[in-house]
Amino acid sequence: MTSAREQLQPRANVIIEAEKPTELPLQKCLDGVGISLLSEWDVLIFVYRHGASLTTVDQIARLIGYPSGIVSDTLDRLEREELIERSRPSRGVRFYRILTSMDSRRWLYLRQLIRLSESRAGRLQLAERLKAPFSDSGRKKQAS
Amino acid sequence: MATDGLIKTGIKGLDSILLGGIPRTNVILVQGVTGSGKTVMGSEFIYRGAALYNEPGLIVVFETSPEKLIRDAAGFGWNLDELQQQKKLQIIFTSPEVLDQELRSPDSLLLETAKEIGAQRIFVDGIGLLNTNLVDSNSVHRTYRELLQQLIESLHRENLTAMFSLELGNAHDSIAAAAGSIDFLADTIIQLCRERHGRRMQRSLEILKSRGQDYEGGEHTLHVTGGLGLEVFRRVQAPLPAKSIQPTSSTMRSVIGVEAIDTLIGGGIFDGSTTMVVGVSGVGKTVLATQILREGSLKQKTRGLLISLDEHPAQIIRNAQTLGLKLEEQVADGTIQILFESPQELDIDAHYARIVQIIEERDIQRMVIDGMTSYSTAIGEVGVYRDFFHAMVAYSKQRLMTTFFNYENPEFLGISSYMPDFPLSSIVDNLILLSLVEINNSLHRCISVVKSRGSKHSFDTREFVIGQGGISLVPLQQNQVPGLPLQSYSSLLSRAPTRFSLPTRIENGATVEGKK
Repeated sequence: MTSAREQLQPRANVIIEAEKPTELPLQKCLDGVGISLLSEWDVLIFVYRHGASLTTVDQIARLIGYPSGIVSDTLDRLEREELIERSRPSRGVRFYRILTSMDSRRWLYLRQLIRLSESRAGRLQLAERLKAPFSDSGRKKQAS
Repeated sequence: MATDGLIKTGIKGLDSILLGGIPRTNVILVQGVTGSGKTVMGSEFIYRGAALYNEPGLIVVFETSPEKLIRDAAGFGWNLDELQQQKKLQIIFTSPEVLDQELRSPDSLLLETAKEIGAQRIFVDGIGLLNTNLVDSNSVHRTYRELLQQLIESLHRENLTAMFSLELGNAHDSIAAAAGSIDFLADTIIQLCRERHGRRMQRSLEILKSRGQDYEGGEHTLHVTGGLGLEVFRRVQAPLPAKSIQPTSSTMRSVIGVEAIDTLIGGGIFDGSTTMVVGVSGVGKTVLATQILREGSLKQKTRGLLISLDEHPAQIIRNAQTLGLKLEEQVADGTIQILFESPQELDIDAHYARIVQIIEERDIQRMVIDGMTSYSTAIGEVGVYRDFFHAMVAYSKQRLMTTFFNYENPEFLGISSYMPDFPLSSIVDNLILLSLVEINNSLHRCISVVKSRGSKHSFDTREFVIGQGGISLVPLQQNQVPGLPLQSYSSLLSRAPTRFSLPTRIENGATVEGKK
């Protein structure tokens, strides 16, 4: 069994082991992952951080502070984009997990964004770059 | 109870306190205040199950972030991520409402996951939070007790051995009240405490109940160690397990190796006997200890252990070297072990466990504790101090290990009691007094054997010197005191050496006593 410490930093996937800490442009990472709304990022990172969440849309919405409708739409979109996977529903409850089978390039972009978001400055940078779900452009994207 | 019906926690020291483990499918409740180690215990229970016993498990968290759980576990060297990838573990973030619903649902996703990975264990962190979920999906109001019963029933049906954590103390009233219900429903209750002792913090563990098995009661010490996890140290005063048979006393004598002292004590001391060596600072207790172990190693081929809270091994070796006692050779070849622990914040249960571990691993036959006074200072509580020595004596006797306890008596000239702290002298087999006696204007070292059970020992107080090779008795014929040998005096140990009016004469090697 490999050391836990060795494995900790690049969490979740062996692909990350080969990753070089190169700084890629933020927009390139966002495009590479395929997200443009802040709500997408917030839902995606919630699912990532919670590993396997056995929960309801309402609970995710309550925990991250978004209306349930937005979270529901976002989850649909993230699943379509093959960023997350959901189990079958059981009385409104599903398992939500990050899709580990995504390609290595996309993982690299995602890891870069996660690393960026781990600092306050990085979070502000992301929030600035991504469209707020309540802005005009955000609403359009949300509706699409 | 047969051990094959037991589930091992895998937590160091805990299974031995549980006499092998916990009956499989027992519902285990781990309760304690914030920071007492509940989440660590639950995580380790699952981790060890998956990693050591091939028993996959689920960890269900409501408030802890799985990401942080994985991070914190990595600090103990547990790679939870890897176990998840191997499908031996699944960490599930959920809410109390969902857990309740899931465990009662015939098409439960949680139970489906448990089946997929072949889970045999489940840890639910924060069971008290279920108390806030007393209305079910059909708006039926239930008591917390009913809810727990349903939960336990579901887990039992699935043959999962469940561990729940429950926060005590600072939790709000409803959770505190909930503790009463679950206390009854749980089969095994492990209470974790985190208390201040003086200015330090100490963790402890107590098994409050465990249905279907016997266990070691009382408060045991709990350590949370980075890179390792939890470690439970059996309380020192716990009686030895009943299965341990007390060996019959040996009739073999263990020669100390200092010929004159062996003669004084009646030809050596019995194997497995305990000896207390009492004396003031500087009288030669440590030298005698060193000599006893070295002689044992060289001539009797016994393995020795010297325990000190006062002197670092390097210092002990150096001091012995100045007397020509080359201790480093025995230390290097492992026939003599030196255990030094700082008396600051000494954790007595852990210290005792370390001593026992060395003795058993190295097959120690001769041990010296040098000295007991430092334990008194380090432990603080007389009861615990006394228990430690009673435990040490009992353990030594059980192993037939010849043990010496050095005790530094605070009284400089003459003593009014062997050991003012508590009367341990009655439980040891032999008692040797090392004294300083002032004659004319100089101090002389003396040795007296006060008691030696089963031996015909001498009651003479004899002068000894410390020189090359350690302690040696001054021959009776040799006058160390100008003009008069020591045996010309009475009342040596009572601070008032009194000279006989007629000097003692030595005739043909024999002492001819004079009159007062």
